[in-house]
Amino acid sequence: MTPDIDIPLKEPAVSAAASDAEQLERARIDASTRVPVLMFYASAMAWLLIGTLLAGFVSFKLHSPDWLSDVSYLTWGRLRPVHMNVMVYGWASMSAMGTAIWLMARLCRTTLRHPLIIVTGIWFWNIGVLIGVIGILMGYSTGYQWLEFPPYAALVLFVAYAMIISWAVLMFRFRRGEQIYITQWYLLGAFLWFPWLYAAAQAMLFVVPVQGVMQAAVGWWYANNLLFLWLGAIALGTAYYMIPKVIGRPVYSYHLATIGFWTYALFSSWTGMQRLVDGPFPAWMITASIAATILTIIPVATVGLNHHMTMQGYFPVMRYSPTLRFTVFGAMSYTVFSVVGILISLRSTARYLHFSEVSVAYSHIGLYAFFTMVMFGSMYYIVPRLVGREWRYATLIKLHFWASAYGVGLMSLMLLVGGLAQGATQNDPSMSFIQSVSSALPYLRGRTVAALLLTASHFIFAFHFGLMLFGLGRTSTVPTFLNPVEAEGSEVQL
Amino acid sequence: MKGLVPLFLGIFGTFAFSWVGLTVIPNIQIGALNPQMDEEGTDIYPMPQSGMAARGREVYAANGCIYCHSQQVRPDYASSDIDRKWGERRSAPRDYLFDRPVLLGKERMGPDLSNIGKRAPAEGEKPASPPVANAPAASPAAAQSPSANAAPAKPAGGAAPAPAAGTSPVQPPPAAANLSPAASASPNPNGMPPIYSYTWHHLHLYSPRSVNPDNEDSTMPAYKFLYEKHPISGERSANALELTGRDAPPPGWEVVPTYDAECLVAYLMSLDQSHPLKEVRSAAALAPAGSPPAAPAGSQPPAPAPPKK
Repeated sequence: MTPDIDIPLKEPAVSAAASDAEQLERARIDASTRVPVLMFYASAMAWLLIGTLLAGFVSFKLHSPDWLSDVSYLTWGRLRPVHMNVMVYGWASMSAMGTAIWLMARLCRTTLRHPLIIVTGIWFWNIGVLIGVIGILMGYSTGYQWLEFPPYAALVLFVAYAMIISWAVLMFRFRRGEQIYITQWYLLGAFLWFPWLYAAAQAMLFVVPVQGVMQAAVGWWYANNLLFLWLGAIALGTAYYMIPKVIGRPVYSYHLATIGFWTYALFSSWTGMQRLVDGPFPAWMITASIAATILTIIPVATVGLNHHMTMQGYFPVMRYSPTLRFTVFGAMSYTVFSVVGILISLRSTARYLHFSEVSVAYSHIGLYAFFTMVMFGSMYYIVPRLVGREWRYATLIKLHFWASAYGVGLMSLMLLVGGLAQGATQNDPSMSFIQSVSSALPYLRGRTVAALLLTASHFIFAFHFGLMLFGLGRTSTVPTFLNPVEAEGSEVQL
Repeated sequence: MKGLVPLFLGIFGTFAFSWVGLTVIPNIQIGALNPQMDEEGTDIYPMPQSGMAARGREVYAANGCIYCHSQQVRPDYASSDIDRKWGERRSAPRDYLFDRPVLLGKERMGPDLSNIGKRAPAEGEKPASPPVANAPAASPAAAQSPSANAAPAKPAGGAAPAPAAGTSPVQPPPAAANLSPAASASPNPNGMPPIYSYTWHHLHLYSPRSVNPDNEDSTMPAYKFLYEKHPISGERSANALELTGRDAPPPGWEVVPTYDAECLVAYLMSLDQSHPLKEVRSAAALAPAGSPPAAPAGSQPPAPAPPKK
C-alpha cells in the first residue's frame, strides 16, 4: 500500500461524490473514442467468428483428414495458418488496439484527437488481414510460422499500424497529470515494441533475408515476442486497470508493479529459442532462452501477487461483475500459461514434448485463456460506456463465460494430455511412429468438442455485442450484474 | 513512475538487448556460413537446389506441410530421432545454407523428413557418387523417372530391396527400415512400390492411407488437387498413377501428377542430410573415412553404437 502515490483510480470508491466536472470530462473522453474503438471491436468480433469457424474446421480435419480435402484452398495445411493469422492479426490485435486506445485516452485524461485517421487505419488493417488470408488460401504462404501473410499484406498492416498508433502515442503529449500509471507503461511498451518487432522480422526474412536456420531463429523470436510484448503486454496492462477499477481499490503495491514490468520486459523478450530446442543452432541460444523462460517466474510471481493482494477480500465481487470475472480468469491463466511454458521448455521435458501437441496447448492457454479472456472482460466494461446502454441479458454473459472457460479448459487439457501421450510414444523408438499419432487421436477428437463449446460461446457474445451496437441494450444507470445484487453489493460500482 | 524519458529508454533498451542478443549476434555467428568442401575443392556440401526441387519447396510451404513434418534431426543424447533412422547424425546449421524458407518445423503429426530422399531405394545399380548424390540428384531422378520408374513400378516393388539386403546381411536396407522395425521385414505388402520411391510418393500424396495398411490412423490429408483426372487420349501417360481399389479412376481415365506434384516429389526426394559435416559427430563418420556414405556403409555403424552406452 503506497498511499503517497497518486493512482488515478480513486474515483470508483468515491464515484458518488465525484464532481460533475469529472464525470463530464470522462464522458467527453469516452465520446471521442467511440467511433474508432467500436470499429475495432466490431472488426475484431467479425474476425473472431471467422477464426472460430476455421478453428472448428482445422480441429475436425486433423482427425478426419478426408473431409473437404479435395479443394486446394480448403486443405488442412492452408486452413491452419489462416485460422492462426486471423486470430492473431484479426481478433487479438484489433481487440487489443481498441482496448488500448480507450485506456490510453482515459489514463492520459485527454480526448482522442483525429479519430478519423484511426478509422482509416482500421480499414487498412482489415484490408491487410483480408489480403493476407486470401494470399495464404491461394497458396502464397511464406512458410514462416506466425508470419505466413505474404509480404505485401504485411506492408498494408504496417501502414495501417502507423496511422493507428501514432495518435495513440501522441496522447502522451497532451496528457494531464504527472503520474504515469502502470497500465500506461505496458501500453506504451506494446505500442513501441510491436512496430520494431514486426519491421525487424519482415526485414530479416524478406528484405535482407538472413541465411539458413537464422530464419527460423528470427521467426520464433518474433512469434514469442508478439505473444509476450504485444498481446501479453496489452492484456497485463488491461488487467492492471480493470481489477482495481471494478473493485474500487488502488493497486496493492506500486513497487511490485515496477519490478513486474521491468523483469517482464527483460526476460520475456529473450524467450523464443526454447521452441527450437536441440535443433541445428548453437547451444547457447537455446540455453539463454530456456534461462529467460525460467526467469519469467519473477514477473509472474510479482504480477500475480499484486493482483491477488489487490483482490484480497473482494473476490466475492466476481459473483456480480462480468468484467472482473473475465479479467481475473485471464490474470490467473497468465500464471498457468507461464508455469506451463517453463515446464515444457526444460530440456528434460522438451525431449518428450518438443514436437507434440503440447506446444499448441501452450499457445492456446496464452492466446485464449489469458489474453482473450482479459479482452472479453475489458469489452464488457468499455462497450456500455461507448454506446450508452447496458448489456441486455445477464444470462448470455454467464453462458459466454462458462462456455469459454470450460471450452478453453477442455481444449488445454486434451492437448496437454494428448501431447504427453504422443510425445512419450514419439520418443520411444520401439513403438512405430504411427502409434504416436494413434495415441493422440482420441484427444484430438476431444479437442473438437472443446472447439464446439468455444464456437457457441463466441456466437453468443457476438449476438449480445450486436444488440449493443444497434442500440438495443438496456437503458439504465445500473450496470448489468451477473447475479442479483443484494444490499452488500450495491456499494461496488461494476 | 515519473517522467516519460526513463520509461521510454527502458522500453527501448530491453528490446534492443533482446534483438541484438537473439538475432544480430547469432547472425554474426552462424549467418554467413559457406559450404564445406575437401582440399581439392570438390565434394561440396550442401549445394543449392535447382529447378523442380526449388519449386517443390514452394509447394511444400504453400500447402502447410511444415505444420506436421519437421526437417531436423536432434542429437542422440536428446531424442530418439537417430534411433528412428530419421538420420545418421544430428542436423547442423550448415545443412540449411541455401534453404529459403527454412522449414525446420515445430510438430510431428507426421515423421521427420530431413533424409527422406536419402531413404529412397537406390535406383538399379546406380548409387550415384557422393558429390552428385545431394542436391542435383533430385532433378535427374525426377526427370528420368516418368519413363524409367513408373512403368516397371510393380516389378521394382519386389526386386529393389532384395539386392540391398544382399549387400548388408545383418542390417535391413535403409529404405525399408523406417516406419516400424517390425514392418521392415515385409517391405511390400499388397504389391505397393518400395517405400519412399518416386512412385510411392505420388501414391502416398494422392491417397495417403492406401499405401500401407498400418497407416489407417495417418492424419495426412490427401492432395488430390495436385493431380489431374482425365480421359486417356491415345496412349496412357507414362507417369499416370497405378491406383487400385477405391481410388482407381474409371476405365478409360487416368490420374496424372500436375507439374506442382512432380516438383513436390522432386523436392522430397532431394532431402538428404547424410553427407558428413566436420562440425558434427556422426555415426557415419565413425566408419573408415574412405568409404563413401553410400547406403550400406551408412546404415551399419548405428548397430554397434548402442552397446557402447
